[in-house]
Amino acid sequence: MEIIEKIKNNKLIDNQTEIQKICLHKLQSSPLPNPKSELWRLSNKSKFSDFLDYSINEKDPKFDIPYPKNSQSTIRLIIGESYQIKIIEENYSIQQLSEDELDKHIKEQISYFDQNENWSDLLNLSLSCTKNILGLKINGSKIPPIEIFSHASSNSLNAKTLVIFLEKNCDIDLLQVNLGEENSSLSQSTFFCLEENSSVNHGVVSYGENRSNLLNSLNVIQQKNSEYNLGSLHFKFNFARFEIRIKQSAGNAKTNIKSMQITKKDEQISTYTKIDFNGPNGFLDQLNKSLADDKSHAIFEGSIIVPKIAQKTDASQLSRNLLLSNLAQIDTKPQLEIIADDVKCKHGATISQLNEEELFYMRTRGITLPEASKLQLSSYFQEIISFIPVSKDRWDLLDKLLNEK
Amino acid sequence: MASKMKESDPILEVENLFASTDNLPILKGVSLTVYPGEIHAIMGRNGCGKSTLSKIIAGHPSYNITNGDIKFSGANINSLEPEERAQSGIFLGFQYPIEIPGVSNLEFLRVSTNARRKFLNKEELDTFDFEELVKEKLELVKMDHAFLTRSVNQGFSGGEKKRNEILQMALLEPKIAILDETDSGLDIDALRIVASGIKKISNAQTGIILITHYQRLLDEIEPNYVHVMADGQIIKTGGSDLALELEKKGYEWTDNFVKET
Ligand SMILES: Nc1ncnc2c1ncn2[C@@H]1O[C@H](COP(=O)(O)OP(=O)(O)OP(=O)(O)O)[C@@H](O)[C@H]1O
Ligand SMILES: [Mg+2]
Repeated sequence: MEIIEKIKNNKLIDNQTEIQKICLHKLQSSPLPNPKSELWRLSNKSKFSDFLDYSINEKDPKFDIPYPKNSQSTIRLIIGESYQIKIIEENYSIQQLSEDELDKHIKEQISYFDQNENWSDLLNLSLSCTKNILGLKINGSKIPPIEIFSHASSNSLNAKTLVIFLEKNCDIDLLQVNLGEENSSLSQSTFFCLEENSSVNHGVVSYGENRSNLLNSLNVIQQKNSEYNLGSLHFKFNFARFEIRIKQSAGNAKTNIKSMQITKKDEQISTYTKIDFNGPNGFLDQLNKSLADDKSHAIFEGSIIVPKIAQKTDASQLSRNLLLSNLAQIDTKPQLEIIADDVKCKHGATISQLNEEELFYMRTRGITLPEASKLQLSSYFQEIISFIPVSKDRWDLLDKLLNEK
Repeated sequence: MASKMKESDPILEVENLFASTDNLPILKGVSLTVYPGEIHAIMGRNGCGKSTLSKIIAGHPSYNITNGDIKFSGANINSLEPEERAQSGIFLGFQYPIEIPGVSNLEFLRVSTNARRKFLNKEELDTFDFEELVKEKLELVKMDHAFLTRSVNQGFSGGEKKRNEILQMALLEPKIAILDETDSGLDIDALRIVASGIKKISNAQTGIILITHYQRLLDEIEPNYVHVMADGQIIKTGGSDLALELEKKGYEWTDNFVKET
C-alpha cells in the first residue's frame, strides 16, 4: 500500500489530473503487481522495492545531455522541459498534441489496460504530471531524425510519458534515450500509434549509473501496412524491466524487433514482449539477446498471440543468450499462443559460452584470450547495434560505456 | 628417394616427442623435420595420432608433452601459447573446423590477420582495407562474399568449412601450414580449389604438412616425403611412391611393425 500512500501524499495532490486520478484509483484495488504472475515472478523482490523506495520527483534540475548532437538537423527533445513544439516545414510537421487530444488518447489506452499486465503504465500515469508528458503528432516525409530524452535525477523516483502519433504515409527515425542517474528510479511509458502506411525506425537506448532503476513500458499500435522497427539496448541498471506490447490492430503490418540487455555485477534486467496479431498477414521478426556477467540476472520472455483471425501470420522469435560467468543467470522463455491454423511461426532459444575448443580455434589464428572474448562480444552487439538509428560517433561513446568494467 | 641438399635451417623440428592427455599416452616418440620449400604428407590409420600431433604443434592446452621438443625456426616452442605460435607463422588447418556462433566471420578473419601482421611489423588493416584484401583471397577459394557476414563456420557445409580454412591460411601467410585432412569430404572441384590454394602459398620459404588418407590430393600436390604413422610414432618415411604403395597394401602391415618394436 505504501506506493499509493506515497503518490497520495505527494505535495502536488491538489493539481492531480483526471488521468492521474483514474490510474491511482485503479492502482488502489491492487497496489502492486502479482508476484506469482508470469510477468513478475522472476523479478527480484528486493530490487523492485529499491525501485519504489525513492521519493517522487516532479521537477528536474537542469539536465545536460551527455553526448553530442547527431547532426545539425536532428531534433532533440527532453521530456520534462517545457516546450511549445510546432515545427511546420514544407514536407513535414511535428506538433504537440493538445491537452484534449492527449487526454482522449490516454483514456482510450487505459480502457484496454489489464491491471497486472499494464501495472507499469498505471504507475507511470498516476505519477506523471502534465509537464512530464510529451505528446507529438508527426506528419509528412523527409523528416529529420528525432531524439527524445528521459532522465531520472538522483535519489528520486521520476515518471516520464511519451505519446507519439505517426500519421498516414509518414516515416521517421526516432531515438529514445532513457538515462538514470546514480540512485534513481525512472518510470517511462511510451505510447506509439502508427497509422496506415507509416513506418518508424525506433531506437531505445537505456542506461543507468550506479544503482539506478528503470521501469520502461512501450505500447505500440500498428495500423494496416505500417512497419515498426525496434532496436533496443538496456544496460547498467540495478533493476530494469523493459515491457513491450505491440498490437497489429488489423494485421497486414510488419514488425521487426532486435533487443538486447547486458547485465553485470548483481544487476537484474528483463525484457518482456507481447506481440498481438489481430488480423491476417502479419509479419514479425524478433531477436532478443541477453548477455550476463558476474552474478547478474537477465530475463527474456516473449509471447506471440495469433488468434483465429490472424491467418497467414509469419512470425519468428529467437532468443540468444551468452553467459560470461558461472554465477550469472539467464532465464529465457519464448512463448507461442497460436489458434489460427494457416500460420508460419518459429521460435527458439540458445544459451552459450565460448568453450575450450572454440577458444583454441581462435587462438590458433593468433587471437589472444581477451581478444577472443572481445570479438565475441562485439560480434554479439553488432547485429543489434546496426539496427538502432544512431550515428557512429555516438556509438563510440556507448562502446566506451559498454566496455567499462 | 634422393636426399636433397639442405642449404637452409629447418622450419620445424619435432624431436622424439612423447605426449599424453589425462595420463593416456598418445604420441610415443615422433620425430619429423621440415625444411623450407618442402611438402610432407603424413598418413596412417584412424586413431594413430595424426591430429594429436598437429594439435600439439599448434599448442593445444589439453595435451602434455612428457618428453621431446618442438622447434620452430630453431627456437624451442614447447611452452609458447597457441596464439604466439600462430602469430609467428604456424598454421593448423583443422580436420573438423570449429563453429563459433555469434562471432562474425569477417571480424574473426580481420582480427586474426591483424594479429599476424602485427607480428610481422606490417600495418594493421581497418575494415575497409581488409575488405579489399579479403576479396582477393575469396577469389582464390571461390567463396562467396556472403560467407563473411555469417558466424564463423556456422552452418557451413563440410566443404565450405574446409575452404574457409584455406582462406584463413591464405590471409595469414604462414611459414608452416599443417593441413589436417583438408581434402576429406571435398567434391572434385573443391579439391582442385583447395589444392591450388595450397600451391599458392607454397614457396621456397614455406613448409607444408598434409595429413591425408587419400592419394587424390597427393596427385594434385606431389609431396617430397610421405610418412606413415602408427600408434603414436612415425614408422616409415619414403617418397611420393610410398603413398601409392599404401593405397595398394593398406595399413595392416603397420600393426605387425608396432608389435615388433
Ligand atoms: N583429448 C583426448 N582424450 C582422450 N583421447 C584422445 C584425446 N585426443 C586424442 N585421443 C585419442 O588418441 C588417439 C589419436 O587420435 P587422433 O585424433 O590424433 O587420431 P588421427 O590419427 O587423427 O585419426 P583420424 O585419421 O581418424 O583423424 C585416438 O585413439 C584418440 O581417441
Ligand atoms: Mg585426425
